[in-house]
Amino acid sequence: MGRKGVQKIFLGILLVNVLVISVADVDKKRLNIWPMPVSVSYGRDRLYLSNEFELKTDGSKYSDASGILKDAFFSLLDVIKGDHVIEVNASSLDPSLVIKGIQVVILSPSDELQHGVDETYKLSVPVQGNPIYAYVEAQTVYGALHGLQTFSQVCRFNFATRVIEVYQAPWTIFDQPRFSYRGLLIDTSRHFLPLPVIKKVIDSMTYAKLNVLHWHIVDTQSFPLEIPSYPKLWNGAYSSSERYTMDEAAEIVRYAQRRGIHVLAEIDVPGHAQSWGFGYPSLWPSTNCTQPLDVSNNFTFKVIDGILSDFSKVFKYRFVHLGGDEVDTSCWTSTPHISKWLKKKGFNASEAYQYFVLKAQQIALSHGYEIINWEETFNNFGSKLSRKTVVHNWLGGGVAQRVVAAGLRCIVSNQDKWYLDHLDATWQDFYSNEPLTNITKPEQQALVIGGEVCMWGEHIDGSDIEQTIWPRAAAAAERLWTPYDNLAKNPREVTSRLAHFRCLLNRRGVAAAPVSGPGRVAPEEPGSCYSQ
Amino acid sequence: MSSNSPKPNNRTILLFFFFFISLIFPFFLPVFVNSSRTLSLHKSKLRFDDGQNLTFLWPLPSQFTSGNQTLTVDPNLSFVFSGNGGRSSYIVEEAFQRYKNIIFKYSSKVSKSGVVYDLQKLNVIVHSDNDELQLGVDESYSLLVAKNYEHSIIGEITIEANSVYGALRGLETLSQLCVFDYGAKTVLVFKAPWFIQDKPRFEFRGLSLDTSRHYYPVDVIKQVIESMSYAKLNVFHWHILDEESFPLEVPRYPNLWRGAYTKWERYTVEDAQEIVSFAKMRGINVMAEVDVPGHAESWGKGYPDLWPSSSCTEPLDVSKNFTFDVISGILADMREIFPFKLFHLGGDEVNTDCWNSTPHVKQWLQDHNMTTKDAYQYFVLRAQEIALSHNWTPVNWEETFNAFPSKLNPQTVVHNWLGPGVCPKAVAKGFRCIFSNQGVWYLDHLDVPWDDVYFAEPLEGIKDASEQQLVLGGEVCMWSETADPSNAQQTIWPRAAAAAERLWSNRDATSATDTNSSTLNRLEYFRCLLTRRGIPAAPVRNHYGRSPPTGPGSCYVQ
Repeated sequence: MGRKGVQKIFLGILLVNVLVISVADVDKKRLNIWPMPVSVSYGRDRLYLSNEFELKTDGSKYSDASGILKDAFFSLLDVIKGDHVIEVNASSLDPSLVIKGIQVVILSPSDELQHGVDETYKLSVPVQGNPIYAYVEAQTVYGALHGLQTFSQVCRFNFATRVIEVYQAPWTIFDQPRFSYRGLLIDTSRHFLPLPVIKKVIDSMTYAKLNVLHWHIVDTQSFPLEIPSYPKLWNGAYSSSERYTMDEAAEIVRYAQRRGIHVLAEIDVPGHAQSWGFGYPSLWPSTNCTQPLDVSNNFTFKVIDGILSDFSKVFKYRFVHLGGDEVDTSCWTSTPHISKWLKKKGFNASEAYQYFVLKAQQIALSHGYEIINWEETFNNFGSKLSRKTVVHNWLGGGVAQRVVAAGLRCIVSNQDKWYLDHLDATWQDFYSNEPLTNITKPEQQALVIGGEVCMWGEHIDGSDIEQTIWPRAAAAAERLWTPYDNLAKNPREVTSRLAHFRCLLNRRGVAAAPVSGPGRVAPEEPGSCYSQ
Repeated sequence: MSSNSPKPNNRTILLFFFFFISLIFPFFLPVFVNSSRTLSLHKSKLRFDDGQNLTFLWPLPSQFTSGNQTLTVDPNLSFVFSGNGGRSSYIVEEAFQRYKNIIFKYSSKVSKSGVVYDLQKLNVIVHSDNDELQLGVDESYSLLVAKNYEHSIIGEITIEANSVYGALRGLETLSQLCVFDYGAKTVLVFKAPWFIQDKPRFEFRGLSLDTSRHYYPVDVIKQVIESMSYAKLNVFHWHILDEESFPLEVPRYPNLWRGAYTKWERYTVEDAQEIVSFAKMRGINVMAEVDVPGHAESWGKGYPDLWPSSSCTEPLDVSKNFTFDVISGILADMREIFPFKLFHLGGDEVNTDCWNSTPHVKQWLQDHNMTTKDAYQYFVLRAQEIALSHNWTPVNWEETFNAFPSKLNPQTVVHNWLGPGVCPKAVAKGFRCIFSNQGVWYLDHLDVPWDDVYFAEPLEGIKDASEQQLVLGGEVCMWSETADPSNAQQTIWPRAAAAAERLWSNRDATSATDTNSSTLNRLEYFRCLLTRRGIPAAPVRNHYGRSPPTGPGSCYVQ
């Protein structure tokens, strides 16, 4: 069935079903899709999924040689079945209301996942057809994955009849993201996060249409990743088993890519790197003054070059994150050989910080990366940064407007609203945080590539990460996905829809915390998931 | 109370292997001793350790010896099943695939070419083909892990068990011996050869989950059951219903699940059957509970006649036959779902005010010359009769025993919860008992640290051996007033594991206080094992259950 056929069916629906609600004044209160799409129309009919619900790709230019679409289709079936036993004998159902499958038409043959990849999709579920097929059309397979996610949210298991039903049919949805960068940071240095935990985080991101996993791999406390060029670096892991092999890193990248999620790797230099020196002590200014990395030692930059060279084989995202925040240079001035070097170069400590960051940027560029740096680099020497720099805001509000005024790109993560480890930040705070605040010129708005919520790991490990991330990250996800005009001006309007999404996460095995209350609260008392 | 005690003659095969090894390695002495002495419990706190000291087992097996070899494990480990247990082999075969995924989760799933692995084959010998899972099923097993030498008939990895459920316990132990080594990028078994003979101390090792105060999706219940198998717990006590909600479908009384919170927070009969069969594949029994008459207000949403009156809604109306018809119907439907021998009838916290204050119930009491206390007893005993008529052994919370011990059916299992010292009284009167003293084994009590859980002893105060036999075991309870799918697992773990070792391992191995620090190390290791398997177990050292790590650090020291 090609597009023309679908349009004919839509016409038919419009004629027979006067209850189709127009796109503009859609009654959002009756919708339970998260994040809210660009446009939605729906009706009042109820359809049922066939037991042999199938994937059809007639008309698609995408061959799916890698099986991304096929795997996504089976994941879709898993999440909508939710471990329920589905009624095998569907003979009691009206056959004219059974959806036989979903047809996915993808226009681009390529499944290369790059920054800014087209994530647009159209989803329709007609109420007529012989037989009925749901229909997804997308430019790329990654848009189609979003379409399948949205489809999963209009399906639900009916406990009385034991079938999966699509409610409020017919559906016509057009959708695309507002921002191309919708990130979540995880920190595997303060606490090690086992592989299955990271994979589960990635799965849960797809439900909220987040698309960048910012992997803050290394920090002061531990260096868990294998670096083949410098094999002693992961001596800085907490223990022999709290580590990732490069194969595992590649597995994480592959796992994420197949779900439309980029992995942004970070090494945070020179300030957050003490753990590097467990394997190579000469990276420390001295054994009793161990941070920042020794700026005077060429070996420091050779190691950075080795790391980024190894990274470039595995982390295929356009960007690498070089950190650059919270640099306390007192070790440089207090260590004799470095203070001598500073004098020779005619640098004060702050110039040496600039020298370090820019030199690291050059190394990253030489490996084909564009760079992301935390905002201190911009605040201190913004005009010196490579024009390929994306400035990552965190300290507070108002930074993005200065960055884009300077012509650089920006990612918004102001800590008061989008740091998930701030448990006192409520979901309403997350929802209301507008990345384009005070940025009015379209060409400047275009420089804000998106935003990111940050799950720093000082108090986070495999035991509490999911409920600290969810549901608050979902609130930010809608801010980053949904057109500004479709966003609720008062978060209270979306409470019930968010609670619904949180219950969906629970049903899918994700330990999302109650919506009422600040971060990671236990439910206060007995009650329904939908009202907590 | 074990109904299938191990038959010694079935153990000969492995023992023969074992002595054969002793002949080959005269330096390797077969000394069966209290495990804590043979297992090296020094744990490296170094940033960079060699992993050699990181072989820890939880719960501790009853007897084992180890050596000083390091063996490699083939990712293409093959599986050979033998013995008379062919009819039940499907359970082990499925478990083998599960454990293969666990053991090789972090390594390549394919053998490296040109590498000869020390351990290439797993032999599982099961003697009984009975796959019925019941209270007291034989869970003992022997496990041998030794290098396969040329011309030797010694198995590489051999698990021998009388029942398929013993073999499952052996597989879990094997999975804990297998460690992925990040340096060699290979799964290794340290300190081989291993010879382990193991069996549980108690036949009932339970965890309860309350799906009435908060609903748990089927997927989450399965996660809980899966994690129980890692700690060798074997009874999932499903507190399905309570006053807040009635999520389960009851075909004979189809309005009952109108008492669910919403249409989406429910279990169909098929869901419940799926949970039972999922649990069975892991050697875990499901004990269902219907908590009458006190915790049943939600029943009346579908059938208001069950309430004394619409303004006084609990306990269930003792004066109506309909009440007992409904209980009978529920139990008849549940009997088709839950094959376990024990059925929990609740009976706790009965406030009889509504019976006294509702005219028609009060009239009925007068007509029958009953006090409210008499009526409570009448209700519990009548419910017991219904359970017995369905061939169920009734379990009741301790209030029933405290209030009218001599009237309870002698088959009754008394479920302790209010405090210590109840099981001694119950077994003295000839009843069987389950230990769940809320001061130590209620997981919703967040102020109970792991060691208080660990050192709680179900046989405390019971000297007589025949009375000790009457303590079936114990259970940790996850009440859900403030727990839901977002936080139950980290409230359960790692503290439930502390109770699991108490219930599985030898009393002398778990009671000496000087093993405290090594026990802590082992429990921390087990907690990290849980998180590596994707189970969100909370840090061990925190005083309060379910609290986040206090600062950055290794999983192994938090």
